[in-house]
Amino acid sequence: MRASLRWLSELVDIDVSVDKLVELLNFSGTKVEAVHSIGAEVSGVVVAEVAAVTAHPNADNLSLVEVTGADGSHRVVCGATNFAVGDRVPFAAVGARLPGMSIGRRKIRGEPSEGMLCSAAELQISDDHLGILILPPEAELGTDVVSLLGLDDNILELEITPNRPDCMGMVGLAREISALLGHELKWPAQPEPRAASLTPAVTVEITDPQGCPRYVARYLEEVSIGPSPLWLASRLVAHGMRPISNIVDVTNYVMLETGQPLHAFDADTIVERRIVVRRAGEGETVVTLDGVERTLERPDLVIADPSGAIAIAGIMGGAATEVSETTGAVILESACFERASVSRTGRRLFLRTEASVRFERGSDPQMAPVAAARAAALIAKLAGGRVADEPVDAQPQPLEPRRATLRPARTDHLLGIEVAPEAQEKHLRSLGFEVSSSGSELEVTIPSWRQDVASEVDLIEEVGRLEGFDRLPATLPAGVRGGLEPEQSVLRELARALSSCGLHEAWTPTFMGAGALDALGVSKEDPVRDAVQLVNPMNEDERRLRTTLLPGLLGSCARNLAHGAPGAALFELARVYRPGADVLPDEPATLAAVFCGRRSAATWRKGEVVWDFYATKGVLDAALKFLRLGPLAYVAAGGMPFHPTRVASVSVGSEGIGIVGELHPEVCKRFEVAEQSLAFELDLTPMLASLPDRPKVAELPRFPPIYMDLAFVVDSSVPQATLRRAIADSGRPEVTSVELFDLYEGEQVMQGKKSLAYALELRSRDRTLTDEEAAAVRARIVSTVAERTGGELRS
Amino acid sequence: MSATEADVSGLLEEAVKSGLSRIAEASDLASLGQARAAVLGRKAALARARSALGGFDAEQRRELGRRANEARARLEGALEERERAFRAVEEKKRWEQERLDVTLPGDEPDLGGLHPLTKTIWEIVDIFVGLGYRVADGPEVELASYNFDALNFDSQHPSRSEQETYYIDDEREVLLRTHTSPVQMRVMEASKPPVYVVCPGRTYRRDVLDPTHLNSFAQIEGLAVDEGITMSDLKGTLQAFARELFGRDLDIRLRPHFFPFTEPSAEMDVLCFVCRGSGCRVCRQEGWIEILGCGMVNVPLLEWAGYDTERYTGFAFGLGAERVAALAHGVPDIRYFYENDLRFLSAFEGGMA
Ligand SMILES: [Zn+2]
Repeated sequence: MRASLRWLSELVDIDVSVDKLVELLNFSGTKVEAVHSIGAEVSGVVVAEVAAVTAHPNADNLSLVEVTGADGSHRVVCGATNFAVGDRVPFAAVGARLPGMSIGRRKIRGEPSEGMLCSAAELQISDDHLGILILPPEAELGTDVVSLLGLDDNILELEITPNRPDCMGMVGLAREISALLGHELKWPAQPEPRAASLTPAVTVEITDPQGCPRYVARYLEEVSIGPSPLWLASRLVAHGMRPISNIVDVTNYVMLETGQPLHAFDADTIVERRIVVRRAGEGETVVTLDGVERTLERPDLVIADPSGAIAIAGIMGGAATEVSETTGAVILESACFERASVSRTGRRLFLRTEASVRFERGSDPQMAPVAAARAAALIAKLAGGRVADEPVDAQPQPLEPRRATLRPARTDHLLGIEVAPEAQEKHLRSLGFEVSSSGSELEVTIPSWRQDVASEVDLIEEVGRLEGFDRLPATLPAGVRGGLEPEQSVLRELARALSSCGLHEAWTPTFMGAGALDALGVSKEDPVRDAVQLVNPMNEDERRLRTTLLPGLLGSCARNLAHGAPGAALFELARVYRPGADVLPDEPATLAAVFCGRRSAATWRKGEVVWDFYATKGVLDAALKFLRLGPLAYVAAGGMPFHPTRVASVSVGSEGIGIVGELHPEVCKRFEVAEQSLAFELDLTPMLASLPDRPKVAELPRFPPIYMDLAFVVDSSVPQATLRRAIADSGRPEVTSVELFDLYEGEQVMQGKKSLAYALELRSRDRTLTDEEAAAVRARIVSTVAERTGGELRS
Repeated sequence: MSATEADVSGLLEEAVKSGLSRIAEASDLASLGQARAAVLGRKAALARARSALGGFDAEQRRELGRRANEARARLEGALEERERAFRAVEEKKRWEQERLDVTLPGDEPDLGGLHPLTKTIWEIVDIFVGLGYRVADGPEVELASYNFDALNFDSQHPSRSEQETYYIDDEREVLLRTHTSPVQMRVMEASKPPVYVVCPGRTYRRDVLDPTHLNSFAQIEGLAVDEGITMSDLKGTLQAFARELFGRDLDIRLRPHFFPFTEPSAEMDVLCFVCRGSGCRVCRQEGWIEILGCGMVNVPLLEWAGYDTERYTGFAFGLGAERVAALAHGVPDIRYFYENDLRFLSAFEGGMA
């Protein structure tokens, strides 16, 4: 929202500097995003008239324009085409300055150009840079455009919060400033219209009082349409609006002034001069001012006459009833429309106008007749004409004043400072609230323009912001016993453990497309295909919520490899989303990691190391050991996206929690990561549900251990874990540790066999084991191994 | 013939003289060992002189004995000195042989790292844990009733539109939460005051990605509801937080604002930690940096939770982790946080935030 400081100064005495005013506004809830002191950067731009336009000999999109100023004629090269001979335009002569440029003599495509014609954007009065700004015909040649347009002004760029429709007009802003400075609000001077006892014969019927609580119509006739005077046109331009004609410009001017949107209909185009405010019929159409035919739906609110819809209420008027050069009689609309309805229809039609932006916030029903009278009087003054002295004011339900009670002590209770009841009363009065004391309470009547205020806490907020939050001291509340839940701590430790293992943590997108699952090669029946889907994704690749973290991690690894990284090891701790029995899906905490290429570079002490299955598995074991979770059990598994014979399902206790393996070469290719990349993915829910107790320590062993190495030859197909378990089971209780230290396949053993060598530690808590006892344990192990695996002791 | 006193004296003098020269001849520890045996051994001149003492009377014996001891002490001293010198040379030789080039690189374990958003979130959460908060969590796929209705959003609030919010169902009852505020409501629904929680988590808004907009981002919500909580408590809490995070001597300020779920509402700025108010690129010449939105928990929320609104008051605040992390680390483009480029991530290796 733009607001001219000069305009505001007409409505309230501003006796502070611009900087001070900006500070006061910022700290009372009206944020000033920028102050444009537009005129300061413009000099040497004067009014000139277009004398001739000819084609540029070397460029189709340029023309040669001859302009006449007070000092003779000049020729400029121009790219715009929105003007005609006779138009008056802003001309920046050689030596002029515009924001960010100074004008010199130039050649453009071979033709000399002695200056430049300016758009509204070049003069920094709006974003409109499409055409040259056309000045009113009475603008005198040679006049400085800065003073002509009142550009030597400060334009405040304001952020108006959605609860403050009243601040969408100068009067509302001036009221805020009046409260901040303690000066009176001065209502705009009201010109006396040439009232006439006309019989307007305008009727207004509201069929939906909820959609339209009030509709004020004013009738004028014998108006003459023409351009607006400069003061009006330049004010509109300074506020980012394009002058159109005196009638339309007045409706826009009064909207800027009061915040109340207005619309002017050509009275002669309205059948029977009968206005009906109603909901649209399904499929009803109206061609709006912008020339687009709009198809309406049942809940859209329209202005209609007996022939059909003539405007979309609160959003845009219709082309058929638009004020034109031939208009003689006008019906002015100043109405209130339901916020929800305007916002719903505007969103559906992708139409946002100055009017709809205001109606969406809610308009002041008491302002409707005031703004209508003001606009009628201004039109009568600027366009001649006579105003019917009686407005048509349809208001099915008269407005009751709204009241609320404020306990001044409650203000102190909520803010934590003392504000004297008299001061609270003064703040509210300064904003237009009526206040009467009753005992220790204030009875407050809420002004009609403050639809956002309804309850005691709303009043406290008003008092608080005018008192100033800078008055609040910095105190601390009691708090409770702060801390993390055990599972929150464990997740942090897990992330730390993985990063200590050389992995980098990644954050990858929640969204996933079907293409990612196809790239993983998972079957149509795979549970990861069952994903929560969005109704309105930004694109198809983001339709699903991820059921696996792998595509995101693979994408990030691929990007790193593409940038020349020799390897990447990324993990992510995040949620996946699985449709469940409830309305809301399950969101299990999930851990995944992807490992590609080089693990560590060659150094002067060792060669390069690459990620492989056992390195990956080691990281997983180490990280979980760090948390005293596990031990994990691994069983050969299969299925995409993994290499068919290099993948294991992972379980803890009897519960399967995930999978680890080398990725299928096809998958690596599709994700553009190194062949033999690896991954794991675990559902952390079971682990988080049964966290380990604190570690317990028994008395340390007092008797020395016996160490024993045993090597067994087994069939190559026997999983190591089976052999190890046979040793551990049969070695109990004496065997306290079993560590694999050698795996051999080759000439020394038979084809199809392998040798596995283990270091065993045997001990007893209450005595030193004898050699005989150790031999007995060994015999037990050998026989169990033979029994379970067919393995034999290697001699 | 028994030896005279002069003979013995001569013998002792000779023993010292020849002994010292023998010791001086030794060229290493081994030859020094041989020299020791030669000068102090049973067949040495000194031993012979001693063995001659038996023939003298007591007084002469005492005198000669003293001189013999002196001679021995001189020889032992010389041996010791030589031995020290030889040992020093040998040690020096060993140290030279064992010399390392200490400038060669050490064996570093591979260093990974935590994501900067994780670090930022932990840091912020820990500040509030220190102020007496617990950490709460809620679903990312959320009901509109928690995400909007309970938070006092009106039925036509633009955030509810399908242009701004991701919906899971056509009835628009299930959505991807647009902020972490619904966790507040779930916490209040499930517990009675006092409530002090921070709620970090991912949130989603339909937005086109650019250097300052993401369609998924991390928020941290804070909520305190207790007897007698005031807006001054909110200010003090945010000041304590901002000083921990951005600098011990930095002030904050509250500017009135509007949010449906708080009243009064405010935005919090912190004094620019780069220029301290004079204006710079980081604060866009403002001198202050906008950090978060906050306010006193609006009465309808407390009523929704079934709290006694006369007895309990509270405050809430919410901030974006990407924005804070970007400010803290000077990250020029917030899309960096979701690209996981190792050249970016490696800046955050190690334990420090
Ligand atoms: Zn700064």
